Amino acid sequence: MTETATGAALLEVRGLSKTFSEKRGWPVPKTVAVRALDGVSFDVARGEALGIVGESGCGKSTVARACLRLITPDAGSVRFDGIDVAAASASALRTLRQRLQIVFQDPASALDPRQRIADALGESIKVHGIARGKAVMDSVLRLLDEVGLPPSAARRFPHEFSGGQRQRIGIARALALGPDLVFADEPVSALDVSVQAQILVLLDELRHRRRLAFVFISHDLGVVRHFCQRVAVMYLGRVVEEGPVPAIFEEPLHPYTRLLKASSPIPDPSRAVALDLQEGEPPSPVDPPSGCHFHPRCPYVMAQCKTVAPALQEVAPRRRVACHLFPAPAT
Amino acid sequence: MNVAAAARAGAAEASAAAPLVVEGLTTSIRIDRRWFDAVRDVSFAVQQRETLALVGESGCGKSLTALSVMGLLPAGVGRISAGRITVDGVDMTAASEASAQAMRGDRIGMIFQEPMTSLNPVLTVGFQIAESLIEHHGMSGRQARQRALELMELVRIPAAAQRIDAYAHQFSGGMRQRVMIAIALACAPKVLIADEPTTALDVTIQAQVLALLADLQQREGLAVLLITHNLGVVASVADRVIVMYGGDVVESADVDAFFARPTHPYSEALLAAMPRVDRSAAALAPIPGQVPTLPELPAGCRFQSRCPLRVDRCAERPPLMALAGSPGHSVRCWVRAP
Repeated sequence: MTETATGAALLEVRGLSKTFSEKRGWPVPKTVAVRALDGVSFDVARGEALGIVGESGCGKSTVARACLRLITPDAGSVRFDGIDVAAASASALRTLRQRLQIVFQDPASALDPRQRIADALGESIKVHGIARGKAVMDSVLRLLDEVGLPPSAARRFPHEFSGGQRQRIGIARALALGPDLVFADEPVSALDVSVQAQILVLLDELRHRRRLAFVFISHDLGVVRHFCQRVAVMYLGRVVEEGPVPAIFEEPLHPYTRLLKASSPIPDPSRAVALDLQEGEPPSPVDPPSGCHFHPRCPYVMAQCKTVAPALQEVAPRRRVACHLFPAPAT
Repeated sequence: MNVAAAARAGAAEASAAAPLVVEGLTTSIRIDRRWFDAVRDVSFAVQQRETLALVGESGCGKSLTALSVMGLLPAGVGRISAGRITVDGVDMTAASEASAQAMRGDRIGMIFQEPMTSLNPVLTVGFQIAESLIEHHGMSGRQARQRALELMELVRIPAAAQRIDAYAHQFSGGMRQRVMIAIALACAPKVLIADEPTTALDVTIQAQVLALLADLQQREGLAVLLITHNLGVVASVADRVIVMYGGDVVESADVDAFFARPTHPYSEALLAAMPRVDRSAAALAPIPGQVPTLPELPAGCRFQSRCPLRVDRCAERPPLMALAGSPGHSVRCWVRAP
């Protein structure tokens, strides 16, 4: 149960920042800066699932892309098993990518509609030299079995599968190269509840059996509470709270985490969601509020919140919060 | 079947004055030149200020039921093959296309999941709100614009006066859904059909939009038919709930009774498969298999192929039976409601 006992983290992210520039407006477009990530730091241990939660535009998907070097961060470092991902040479990156994989929300868009499943799964096995000849098909069948699909699936095309089965194929493809860490970007958001539960159970089995680590990106707090051991809550490019799942869900500290939890619908009419009649739009990452980004929506706002951005600091063992209400205990 | 027929007759009588009454609705859709019943014998009534939630997974028939009520089934692909739909006393199933068109947007308002696809990107939001007032109520352009501004304020769009000439892309998702609500409410409808109105929104925005809808419903006396897959949303805003599976109503109850005693094996399984934010990681119980496609659906009980309680009798279609000890609660199951 204590997956993090080994100490050294598998993935170590420090001070990751990324600003996109975007042209907006008409008829004369203006270049605006979108601060997608602003000093994001976290660790993931082997065999551990870290949930990253937050709403649209908080930067949670950008985290995955920056860690995989699909985009280049402006600042900060990503170390995977001690190797600096940003500095890795082309050949080192090739090895790294076998060990770091990604699963998307919509696997259909990531599969070639004219490629049979056997070829889709076999391709990377061949390219990376994991197996050759007949052994490739054996690997494909083993993968299909591991994700709960029949051998007959190998000969079929992506459109012949339902959403849940396609997600199983997406997972099989991520597993093909034997990764240590999988970034799962909203992997169950497009699925019906009954199928979503099947995929969550499958991912949890894989985590245990293969000692896989996950960075599990989701907007659904219920799913994160169920699947993850630790969670980082993001708001407009910053981590505002981070720690073990049971503690954060039982007693969220940051006012934004509390709002998220109170807004998440529960199937129990006696505990209906806090319907929020407050007006206004959530601020956008193009022009985030000064100080603590959450201050315009925060019920506990103080003078300093408008000018000083609170640092993410440890307030209890393994629990970090970025909020002026919770100063770090004096040591 | 007698029980069901009696229950239906009773419901119809009690709800004669309800703004929305659906009786024995069967909707068929065409797949490869064959017609399949995608909604089978669905009956319900929605009273003023009441929210009825239709719940289920993809393909259960909940959205087709809504499209049938609105008279928006795609011609040649979908048709109402039996039943009657009464909106504010008018029989929609007997109405001509012209009078159905007159009802839509006037006495029935509609909001959909993705407001961006329902809003016209090249017209200002103010014009789109005013449009139905000019069309249905014969208002002048100036009157309609004034009313559009009031509606934007009613749905709490900040700085409405400055944003009335803005375009949909200049609004966030939550604000766009508010624009859709303003359009739906423009002609003061009696019935509001909301098909997954908050599914595309972030949770904190979802809470705002649900609060707004609940508030407007009480003020305007709306009968709301809410289509959703989210049982958490149902618990928060609905008064009554109907669970659908494979085109059948499998359970129908007051919301408190439903969550206190979910009785159909499918309802129970849905709740057990849902990860909850208020509970620590209890083992999830996934429902085995997939939702069958229409041509694959079994005769008899639609859920039998995935049901842990299956008995031989399930090959025969169970009627919707009243559940003893739980008034207004009915279940379509031989095992659970014998």
